[in-house]
Formats: sequence, C-alpha cells, structure tokens
Amino acid sequence: MRHRVVITGMGWVTPLGCDIESVWRRLLAGESGVAPIRNFDARAFPTTFAAEVKDYHVPDKIAASGKHSRISRATGFALDAAHQAWAQAALPEPGTPEHKKLNPYDIGAYLGSGEGSLDFSTFTRTAIANWKRDADTLDMAGWGRDALKSFNALAEIEQEPALPINHLSMEFNARGPALNCLTACAASTQALGEATEIIRRGDASIMISGGAHSMIHPFGVTGFNRLTALSTLNDDPRRACRPFDATRSGFVIGEGAGVLILENLQHALSRSAPILAEVVGYGSSADAYRVTDQHPEGRGAVMAINEALKDAGLTPGDIDYINAHGTGTKENDSTETHAIKAAFGSHAGRVPISSIKSMMGHLIAAAGAVEAVTCVLTLRDQILPPTANYSVPDPECDLDYVPNEPRPARVDAVMSNSFGFGGQNDTLIIRRYRP
Amino acid sequence: MRRVVITGIGAVSPLGLTAADSFNAFHSGRSGVDTIGAFDASSFPCRIAGSVPAFKTADFVPKSYRKSTKIMARDIELAVVAADNAVRDARLATRGILESGGGKAPADNWYAPDPSRVGCNIGAGLICADLNELTEAMVRAANPDNTLNLARWGKSDNPSESSGMDTLAPLWLLKYLPNMLSCHVSIIHDTRGPSNTITCQQASAGLALSEACRTIQRDQADVALVGGGESLVHPMGLMRWTLLKLLTESGNENPATACRPYDARCSGTVISEGAGVLVIEELEHARRRGADIYAEIKGMASCASALPLGQADPAGEPLAHVCRRALAGAKLRPDDVSALLPPASALPQLDQSDIAGISSVFSSLPPMTTPRGAVGDAGAASQAIDLVMAAQMLKRQILCPTVNCDQPLHDIPVVKSPKTPADLAHVLILARSLAGQHSAIVLSRYQEAH
Repeated sequence: MRHRVVITGMGWVTPLGCDIESVWRRLLAGESGVAPIRNFDARAFPTTFAAEVKDYHVPDKIAASGKHSRISRATGFALDAAHQAWAQAALPEPGTPEHKKLNPYDIGAYLGSGEGSLDFSTFTRTAIANWKRDADTLDMAGWGRDALKSFNALAEIEQEPALPINHLSMEFNARGPALNCLTACAASTQALGEATEIIRRGDASIMISGGAHSMIHPFGVTGFNRLTALSTLNDDPRRACRPFDATRSGFVIGEGAGVLILENLQHALSRSAPILAEVVGYGSSADAYRVTDQHPEGRGAVMAINEALKDAGLTPGDIDYINAHGTGTKENDSTETHAIKAAFGSHAGRVPISSIKSMMGHLIAAAGAVEAVTCVLTLRDQILPPTANYSVPDPECDLDYVPNEPRPARVDAVMSNSFGFGGQNDTLIIRRYRP
Repeated sequence: MRRVVITGIGAVSPLGLTAADSFNAFHSGRSGVDTIGAFDASSFPCRIAGSVPAFKTADFVPKSYRKSTKIMARDIELAVVAADNAVRDARLATRGILESGGGKAPADNWYAPDPSRVGCNIGAGLICADLNELTEAMVRAANPDNTLNLARWGKSDNPSESSGMDTLAPLWLLKYLPNMLSCHVSIIHDTRGPSNTITCQQASAGLALSEACRTIQRDQADVALVGGGESLVHPMGLMRWTLLKLLTESGNENPATACRPYDARCSGTVISEGAGVLVIEELEHARRRGADIYAEIKGMASCASALPLGQADPAGEPLAHVCRRALAGAKLRPDDVSALLPPASALPQLDQSDIAGISSVFSSLPPMTTPRGAVGDAGAASQAIDLVMAAQMLKRQILCPTVNCDQPLHDIPVVKSPKTPADLAHVLILARSLAGQHSAIVLSRYQEAH
C-alpha cells in the first residue's frame, strides 16, 4: 500500500517578489520580472538582462541564527522559501517546545538545487595574475600560493550543491531522508516527484522539497550566451521571453527558489494541517538522444507525461491545465507542443497550456518548484495564469496557450512539465484534494 | 515487492581501470595514492592524491560518439569509462556496445534490453572548470590590475578580434553540468528510463543506487545503471580541501601510507578521483536472461545529521539510525551482518563518531574494511567504489584487507589480511558526506532457491 501525499505549505523567492500572494497577483496581471542585470556589469554581454530577485536580503530571522554564514545566494533563497512553507503548513517554529516534539528522522529534505556561484573576484584575479603569457599556461605553483591566501574556505564549500539541504536540515532539525538532485532545468520537479515517492513508501511523513538556484553571474550568463540559448532582445527585456510565439528567440535567465511541504495525508489530517492539494502523479525519463538537443519528437517528454498519467491513474481528458516548461526557445516550445499532442491525442487542443517563464524567466534548477507552486494556486483560485508576450502564432505551436490574459477555469487536475539540458524529462500531476 | 540484484559492475579508480583490477589491488593491499602528477601541486602542504592511471575516453565509446568526448570534463570521462566496464560485465548489448562491435554483440549470450525500461542514476560532484582553458580566455580581457574587464569579456574593442567569452567553445558550459555524467551514459547506452543525478558528495552513490532501486521496485524500469563519479584531483579541489583542513600534511614522503582511516595515527585524508557504476536489475528479468548475479540489494536508508559541514555527532546517532533503518528494511538483525564498509572519512573527529555510532548498533562489531586508505576520498565516487568492491566480495566470498590501519581506534575489528572463503552473507555499506547526508546499503549474497 502506498500513502497519499498532500501539499500543506508553500513558499517562494522569485523575480516578481518573495511572498505567495503578491507574486500570484502579479503573475495573473501578466507583469514581468525581467530587467537589466544588476548582479554584475553585463552591459557588454550579448544578453544584458535577466529576471533577478531584486534587492534581496536573507530575512533577519534566518541570518541572525548564526548557522548560515557565507551561504550561497541559492541557499539563502531556499531557507527563505522553506520558512514561508513551514509557516503556512502550521508546523511549529524551530526552537519552540512544540518543534522539539517532532520526530526529526520523520522529516526529510529533497531539493533540486544548483551549485553556488564562484567567488568571482578572487577566482578571476588569482587566475589572471598567475598566467604565464610567454608559455600560455598558468603558473600553478604561483596560483597555489596565491589561492591559499585569497580564497575563503567556507565560501568555497558553500558552493557544493548539497549545501542548501544541509542548511535546511540544520534550520528545521530535519534528519530524515536527505537528497539533492541536480538534473539541470528539470531538477526541482524531479525532487518533488522523488520526495513524493519517499512519503508514499513510508520513509518520512514530511518532506521539505523544491529547489533553489542562481546562475545570474558572469560565467553563468557567459555559458548560456555561448550556447546561444538566451534571448538577446536587449532593447525590450520585458517582452524578451515569448513562449510559443513565432518570434521567440531564446529564454531569459532567472533565479530564485520554490519550496513545498509534502506530507503524508494521514499525518496532515491528524494534526489538522491545511491541505492545499495532492500530488498524484510523477513521471521521469531520459531522451538518450543528444547532449545539445531535445529529441525532435519529444520522445522522452512523451514518456514522462505518459508515466505521470499512469502513476496518477488519470487519462489526458482528466487534465485541466498544463503548466508548460515553455522556455521561449525555438526548440523547446515546438518539441513540447509536439510531445503534448503525442501524449494527449485529441485532447491536446482542448487543454489550456501556459508558461509563467514569460514573466518570471527561467529559474533553471528552481523552475519546476515555482511552477508547482503556481499549479497549486490555479487549483485554489480556479484561474489560469497567462502566457505573456504572445502575439504572433507559430504554425508549429498551435495549441491553446492562454495568451496574455488570465483565464477563469474549472481546474481539478493539473500537469507541470520540466525538461533539462541533456534530455532529462520530469512531469508532475497535482490535483485538488478530496477526502 | 520486486527483488533487485546486481548483475554488472564497473569501476575506474586509482587502483585500476576496471572493477576487477581495482578489486585485485584492494585484495592485495596495494595503494593507489601517489604524488600528484596532473598539475604542479608544489605550493600545497599536501601534494599527494589518488589518481586514475592514464586512459583514453575515446577507447570506451562507439566511433560515432568520439567527437562528444571533447565536451566531457574529467568527471564525465570517468563515469563513461566505468559505465562501459559495467555494461560489458553485465553482458548488456546496449546501443553503444552494438555500435562498437559493428552492429553485433560480442557473444551470443549477450542481451539487448528495452531502452525504455533501463534507467540511469549516477551521482556527481561540483565539477571544476578547467583553469587553463578559462584563464586563457580571461587574459584577453584582463585589466592591468589583474581583474577581469567585463566589458572586454563580453565584447571586443576591436571588431576583428573575438571577445574574451567568444574564445570559449560554444558548448563550454555543458562540460561542467553535473547531470552530464548520466546524460552521456544514457545517450551512449540508450537508456531512456528514469534518470537522475544525486549531488550529495560522499553519500551520492548509495543514494543514487537507492533511488534507482526504488524505480525498479515500483515497476518503472527493469534495469538501471547506478553509481557515482567525481574527480577532486584538480587545483580547485585541492585548494578547497586544503583550506578546509581536511588533508594530511604528513604523507608527502610516503603517499601509500598517508591515508589512514580509523588508525591512531590518522591526520587527515587525501583527495582522489574515480567512478563506479553498477548494473542493477529486477531479479526475474536477470534470471530469464541468464545473468550472473553478484548480490541482492536488501536494504537502503538515508538520513541527515543536521550539523554544520564537516561536523559529526560525537555519539554517531545519525549513522546508527541509517544502519538500523537499512537492516530493518532488509529484515535483518545486526548479528546477521558479516562485514561492514564504514564511511572512512580519514578525519579523526568523523572516524570517532563513526565508531561510536556503529558500536551502538552492534553488540559485537562485524569485520570492517574499506578501500579508502588505498584510494583516498573521491567524493561522489567514493561509495560507488565501495559498492563495487562489496559486490565482488560477496560474489567471490573474499574479505579484503584495509591498508594503513595498523593501530585501529578502540580496537575495532579492521580486516588486516585477506580472508577466503569468508562466508559473507550480508554486507553493510555506509557513507556520510561532509555536509551530513548519510546513506546505508545492505547487499546480500544471492543464492539460487532450490
């Protein structure tokens, strides 16, 4: 027998803000979180804009604990989002007598978090200063001496992708199953799916799950610019990300975190927790095609969608909304459309699809988690967020993308897709809770 | 519940380029730790590491895929080589094996699996960028004070010259994404089932194996390639581990005896590199195709210490917890364990914590052994190598010795010389990452039911 898994709390840190309700209102209003980059001077880069979390500071309550010095930006986002989710789930505040009564081994953490960014100034200076121009190579002995004096041990180790869950474990005394997966842009959807499986099989009653990431740093943007994956519409950042539109030209890099409290249904009922929705289906697959391209027919995406439907015991006709991966690249959006048609058959034209990346940008490893939060909000409020910046239809993308305006709808079961570089595909199905 | 067994093993480690070579070295007590040769480490207090012998990745991929080896960081190369070793050992005629053989499997008794029923789950670390490659690009955009000029990095002053960033290969980023270990392996061997990349440092491989094993148990796959790969033998890796004060500084003269887990004279670990990949398979699936079975996966558990990086509970409570959970899952009692591969961080405080935790579970400790003293700490590859060794110990009924543990702390029963036949029924493999994630795996001797 497998346990049912429900969502009892949610939090996020996003380019549109850092609390659930205001960001949700802005998404429904079609607002954009995209603007010129402030994290570093990107004026000469092919892409000069991004969806940054603006003027961000880790909340004092978290910073003051003394447990989280030198944390990466991603870890700060994760702690912030997790506190929001923990509070919404009506779980006892860490440090209180009620918190001490929880069984720490029954609470786990599974994130799809990305690596922290390099100590840019130290990294670049030590490397450049020790370059031997006559030999076109680094003087390693010189670099070693310089590096040992210049780098900070804590700041270095905080870049490890296992560190966000380490900080969550410490903050909430969560000693249950502890995992981080880093499957590129699919990571946090995968984390939510696998965390669901952990509760289903009884290895924990509560999982703190989701993801956090920031690649808005010089080498991150360099990497995506070299791949020519980013939109370069520098004159019009707010309209740069155009999922499913014929004029789409690349994704917009974002940053942030989404964290959900997943809970064993019986556990949630026994403590009268607020039940926001139920996770009913999860599918995962690999394209096994190319490192650089998706399979042209979305072979892996179709398999992930079908596996999730099978897992949920649902058919395409049961799905009322698809929160698309919808990055705004030429390739993704047509492949994803193709995959939805292949998996949904005659229902493909009837199911509304939208991409919040049009407003929020692409949060990379964290994207799936903020999209899962969005899915829960569609179930709660019976309204779908739009795909912003949609104006020119593409014959390759001929489904219903909820263009530009939010849409009231009867929503019972929703699907969220995430596809990563290298052919990683994950799909979640979330449903309104019914006893 | 569907039962899951190990039907193939592969490893590339400082002890050899195959699982068999690595095992033979472990068995004979040879060390793979030596002076660092990959780069000039002369300004570091610890100048030794476990380094993998020379190999050419192109020799381990089909011809059509050789071009892709140019976009593989060393961590990826190691995983690709170990996966080739494992798939061949399991006699799986995957796409890569068939292509390498001109469309034919090496022998009639090889088996071509259904790609959609094969998963891939390989743990990875934080992959370091190649310093020379990146610096060569950066110096084109350097300011006189050795800072990077972001304007010239992004765009050249002179339109006929390329900017700093433009000298990087277009696919530069893809060399360094942790999921590329699994992705390249999944492409080479055409594994289309559930795929994941666990990044939990030293606990990654056991967690990856557990996750993949669950996908087989719940019938989402029949076969999976699992394990981990990482190279810490990199200037950035050495710098980080030096600054964190994890490395021994007393072993430069005698590298082979430098890494001394659980020994009274332990003064720190050494960095290492490698990869281990195991083919795990649903039991009936394995039997139908006549696969050789190394061991059965009986128990799996995971937990966190909830402590700051590098610290461990003095009582070893989290480690004791995963031991108990994994044994309970396997329906075994502590007395049933015939050998134990402990985390073996070779860091005095962590080693003491291990012993306290393990001692609280077992009334009398089973024989303990680890290849860590001979290999060093290979991050996400560490537990993968341990699992590959444990699978062979069970199959061959051999207990391998631990090197460099002459005076075991608290007189724990460390295996000092090889034992054959060892009568091994159940082996417990434990890992703890520096960041506090734990994983425990119980492997059991597989015996055909009569």
